[in-house]
Amino acid sequence: MDSIRERVLDKYSARVYKNRKDHVITLDSDKPNAVAANTRAIPGIITQRGCCYAGCKGVVLGPIKDALIITHGPIGCGFYTWGTRRNKAFADEVDGERAESYIEYCLSTDMQEPDIVFGGEKKLKAAITDAVELFHPAAVFICSTCPVGLIGDDIHAIAKWAEKEYNIKCIGFSCEGYKGVSQSAGHHIANNQLIRYVIGVGDKEPVKKFSVNILGEYNIGGDGWEIEKLLKRCGIEIVSVIPGGGSYRDIKNAHLAALNLVQCHRSINYVADMMLDKYGIDWIKVNFIGIESCKQSLRSVGEYFGDEGLKARIEEVIADEVMNIEEDLAFLKGKLKGKTAALYVGGSRSHHYQMLLKDFGMKTVLAGYEFAHRDDYEGREVIPDIKPDADSKNIESIEVQPDPKYFRVLLTEEQREALKEKGILLNDYPGMLKDMEDGAIICDDLNHYETEEFLKILKPDVFFSGIKDKFVVQKSGILSRQMHSYDYSGPYAGFRGAITFGNDLFMGLSVPAWSYIKAPWKRVPNIAGSIGGEK
Amino acid sequence: MKKTNIEPLVNMNVNPCKMCMPMGAVTAFYGIEKCISILHGSQGCSTYIRRHMATHYNEPVDIASSSLTEQGTVYGGERNLIKGLNNLIRLYHPEVVGVATTCLAETIGEDLPRMIHNFYEEYPEYKEIKIIPVNSPGYGGTQFEGYFRALHSILENVDLQTEKNEKINVILSPMSPKDVRFIRNSFRLFGLDAIIFPDLSDNLDGGFSDKYERLPQKGTSLKDISLMGGAKVTIEISNLNMADSPGRFLEKNYHVPYERINLPAGIRDIDRLYEVLSAISGRPVMESVKEERSRYMDAMVDAHKYNGEGRAVIFGEPDFILATVRLCAENGIFPVVCASGSVNGDLKDIVEKEIEEMAECYHIDRYEIMDDVDFKKIESLAKELKANILIGNSDGRRMEEELKIPLIRRGFPIHDRAGGQRLATLGYEGALQFLDEITNGILSKKETTFRTIIFKEYYKEKDCPEAKIMEYQDFAKAKREELERKTKNHPCFGDCGNGFARIHLPVAPKCNIQCNYCVRKFDCPNESRPGVTSTVLTPMEALEKYKAVKEKVPNLTVVGIAGPGDALANFEETKGTLELIREYDKEVTFCLSTNGLMLPNYANELCDLGVSHVTVTMNAADISIGAQIYKYANYNGMKLEGESAAAVLMANQLSGLRMLVARGIICKVNIVAIKGINDAHIPEIVKQVKDIGCFMTNIMPCIQVKGSAFENLPTICNKELNELRNKCSGTMKQMYHCRQCRADAIGTLDQDISIQFAGCNGIKGKDNKAEAFYRFAVASKSGIIIDQHFGHAKEFYIYEYRQKNVNFIEKRSIHKYCEGFEECGDQENKIQQIMKAIEDCDGVIALRTGEAPKKQMESKGIKVISTYDIIEEAIKKAAVAML
Repeated sequence: MDSIRERVLDKYSARVYKNRKDHVITLDSDKPNAVAANTRAIPGIITQRGCCYAGCKGVVLGPIKDALIITHGPIGCGFYTWGTRRNKAFADEVDGERAESYIEYCLSTDMQEPDIVFGGEKKLKAAITDAVELFHPAAVFICSTCPVGLIGDDIHAIAKWAEKEYNIKCIGFSCEGYKGVSQSAGHHIANNQLIRYVIGVGDKEPVKKFSVNILGEYNIGGDGWEIEKLLKRCGIEIVSVIPGGGSYRDIKNAHLAALNLVQCHRSINYVADMMLDKYGIDWIKVNFIGIESCKQSLRSVGEYFGDEGLKARIEEVIADEVMNIEEDLAFLKGKLKGKTAALYVGGSRSHHYQMLLKDFGMKTVLAGYEFAHRDDYEGREVIPDIKPDADSKNIESIEVQPDPKYFRVLLTEEQREALKEKGILLNDYPGMLKDMEDGAIICDDLNHYETEEFLKILKPDVFFSGIKDKFVVQKSGILSRQMHSYDYSGPYAGFRGAITFGNDLFMGLSVPAWSYIKAPWKRVPNIAGSIGGEK
Repeated sequence: MKKTNIEPLVNMNVNPCKMCMPMGAVTAFYGIEKCISILHGSQGCSTYIRRHMATHYNEPVDIASSSLTEQGTVYGGERNLIKGLNNLIRLYHPEVVGVATTCLAETIGEDLPRMIHNFYEEYPEYKEIKIIPVNSPGYGGTQFEGYFRALHSILENVDLQTEKNEKINVILSPMSPKDVRFIRNSFRLFGLDAIIFPDLSDNLDGGFSDKYERLPQKGTSLKDISLMGGAKVTIEISNLNMADSPGRFLEKNYHVPYERINLPAGIRDIDRLYEVLSAISGRPVMESVKEERSRYMDAMVDAHKYNGEGRAVIFGEPDFILATVRLCAENGIFPVVCASGSVNGDLKDIVEKEIEEMAECYHIDRYEIMDDVDFKKIESLAKELKANILIGNSDGRRMEEELKIPLIRRGFPIHDRAGGQRLATLGYEGALQFLDEITNGILSKKETTFRTIIFKEYYKEKDCPEAKIMEYQDFAKAKREELERKTKNHPCFGDCGNGFARIHLPVAPKCNIQCNYCVRKFDCPNESRPGVTSTVLTPMEALEKYKAVKEKVPNLTVVGIAGPGDALANFEETKGTLELIREYDKEVTFCLSTNGLMLPNYANELCDLGVSHVTVTMNAADISIGAQIYKYANYNGMKLEGESAAAVLMANQLSGLRMLVARGIICKVNIVAIKGINDAHIPEIVKQVKDIGCFMTNIMPCIQVKGSAFENLPTICNKELNELRNKCSGTMKQMYHCRQCRADAIGTLDQDISIQFAGCNGIKGKDNKAEAFYRFAVASKSGIIIDQHFGHAKEFYIYEYRQKNVNFIEKRSIHKYCEGFEECGDQENKIQQIMKAIEDCDGVIALRTGEAPKKQMESKGIKVISTYDIIEEAIKKAAVAML
């Protein structure tokens, strides 16, 4: 039925084929488009996925700048997460002084053989003592790597001990690499602990009438700053950003905001859901990547608060931002229109960036997620249909109760109905597929081998992915743009960001190097003249 | 005293300078042809390592994972690994598969060989594929160890043929693809058929081709590896002499001759490489290579003046450090910090051997060589030791930013620059590129800052106010008046019996000449003449004594140092005493007497110390007469006798006096009148010193001392003496009231009250436990930590412990206690000298002390303590233990 899929999966053994075929589909709006997702990666096939620790320490916790993160384990894992995601952060000014930021640090208990044999708890305690003396942090996060869970070090007991001993916030994250099937497990574990121990601890009320948290924004290339700027221009207060460029100091007050804006659904939806249950805070899925998406996201916020003044300011900001980029946008559209793209990124960028590509008239031929769940593809309506398996059951899912002190409901049922009629979805995400056109290919957990095969068949003009696949793409003569780090560039969010993105793309496609790939002696010689004595 | 916190952070690594073992293992496998590796563990390990390698090498890096999940950790990961191997082989068609373990697999105790065996059983169709297991727990070592472990494992698992062949095994320490290519080409150049093991040069630095090959197509082939057992020789390129290196393995098990050479980065090591290549091939070194060498040499000379200022921090893998240290040392770049994240016991010794001499020559007294260290430590050391260039991988970039010192990027990983895989360090051309970068790093910092620095250093507005003539004249006048007053109030220089008192502090026991009339005695309260004292004081004791005397003798105006030996033969003590007293009393007159042998050396310093009155004893102005008076002189380590002793002494006396007079010091010359020897010659001496500008002379009678060479000469009588003085008074001012005092005299000239103050020297007795007073001698290079062996100490720091306080007293040089080459010539006596230097101490604290000196000291009641600690802490602990 699906010739491209069959060609790509052709080399697999029957068993692997059987597994993989449900992860690869060609979109067809006449049929139900189900994508198998969040299942175990196949051993030996070079998956691009990372581990639970990567999702917890590397992704969700890493960007929280004033939390001191100690990796409890042998040296490798700590080292490999040291400054490798290009999330940006600047130390805040608090009361006129520079607040602490540990974003450039990598702390590890550097476990050695004896620690594995005799247990590492003593060393961890001593490390916390050292850390407290050296840095005086307000919060210490302990992240476990594989061996810790196996040898049974009780990091949670040690966290409790540290809280008592040093009067700091100390939280254990049991995010051993082998848990779950991808980074996604780590997101969940981090989300759980943030709800349990961080959000709700503070009591600093927002000053302004309209206040939000930005959830699941990682401030890659400064995206978060651009988004904050937009919202602030509209007169909206940002209570906290979780986690990009954010801080423990702010996140502990997150429960006092009026609304949650969810940028990356996959990595933070647990926090959003639990805040809804515990504090009654609604969330709306936003996307600040892409010009039209940006407009829509800002307008949704305006509609949610329903304030005419706010809505007017939002329109004014949109008009102003659009006016500033109109000329550039027209130019870039002219250059980029009709180009094709493939996207393979984590759990939401593959969706977000399609919206931006559409702004330029580009076409997506392949999109896939590294560690998404089915709801990220098909929308949250499929959640009841997802059968829990052994791996997902291993990750703790916590039930929260309404908080007696802080639970509040902002909208009446009538207001909710009215929003629904306006097409504003509350506490819901419809998924990526609905924004895509028939004929595009969806591939979950796209591995190294399949990447190569797809590139050969689809020959997209540009492939958006990460550093691991970057060089395969480039060696195939195709432009690669890194969506995890933006290759030092950014921000890509917001209106101005869209232009930066478009410029980078145009620059990449028009680099002279591509034109020299074929050496002259491989082409038909066209030298005028003669050789030797010939006339 | 400066205090430094030397407590290392043993429990937490802050910004690691190392990676884990699997990283090294898969790097090694990338040098094998048609090989792909799989990590047995969580998939994050592969992903992280791929991410790091891809960023460095700018190449696709394919490493599979057995993707262990919670289930695998409980029931064992064999199924995952077998499935993984099957899938991997199916898609990649490798000839070799490297299987490396991770923390997870090792912690649950996975048995790789058994699993591989089971895999072959289950998939017999893959039996031709070589699967090589490596045990590489992340906690077992760093990437450096992982790399060698993989090489070892390959040799153990491939069937090596023992039949002899003409191949040369070349085993490489971790190096960049560029450097591997250089080594490979060098062997080719000499027509040698080398097996480069491993050869990652193409697989991790490939070109752009029409067809993308997912399986590494280049590298050491399995066939070549199998020939390694019968090769002609193994050349191992590493600065470390590892007992279990791959080369040693081949030597031990296959009898392949083994030769290790250093990484050819420094000129000595590159020369060695070509020497070896030429020897094995029997071919002379090519002209082109010689030209490269000459260019390298030329560049070394061209850049030496910039490099000479280099203070480098070198960090990374042990081999990288060692190679770079040699390159730096050859170019005058001093490695102040060498730091490896790996644990390596040999690193320190090798580096130390390399730079010890240089440190001495450059007067660099502190450098640090450390293994098992993190960037926090490296950064603090870089700052402390004032480094101006950093050399190592890109993880040093935070340090570069923080300290604003250029980082020359080499090694692995390079994540913030393009082309990490093409960085060259080896061969004349590669090393020259490396050297140029280092030089330019030093220069780039200099070029942008040197004007400002020089301006700030030398031109300070506040330092150059317009000179005010009047003020200077006033100042000179005040100085002159002060000097006149001091001279008037000096019991010797002033008028006879002016009623002012002086104190002679006997801090200078040694003498550097032997006069035929003199015998020095140290404990004789009953004899009174120069050269005699009842005790010798240390500077600290002298201060205490001065304080005690000053309190009781208000008319005390002068502090003199008059032996019992020669004040300048004990200059450290003299200086120490004067400094201490000047700090306590700004006013008191400093007076000093000397034989003048060392006067030119110290004249200026004496002026700076505030000495205003100096007496030089000068008994002859004629060499032949002098030769009769002086038996010998110990001068700058030479023993001079007869006329040469007299000549040097006289010349130094006269030039020293000229220097003093030029700086306004009041000089008196003492002349010992020795009947029949110099009595007729004295007016000539007086005339000469008058011409120099001395203030007065003091002609005094020679006292016959039993045991001296002149004991039987007749004495000059008072009448003859006064006639002489009168005769000379026409030439210059004469002293008539000399009492020829002891070296520890106190009081006015007519009333020596020194006996009243015997014991007032600050020593309250060693047995007084309630006071808890101890004196310690400490052996230390740094002056902060006890870090020196007793026998190696050239000087000791003397500390006193008193009622829980630790005070630094002075530094004592051993050779100062050596009274001439006769005593100090041989090693045997060295311990004796040390003993002499510290015999007044209650304890000696050193890093270690030999058995013999320990016994000797303990026999003298000196306690010997061996420790490594901050000095003050060690003293406190020792004192508490001694209580």
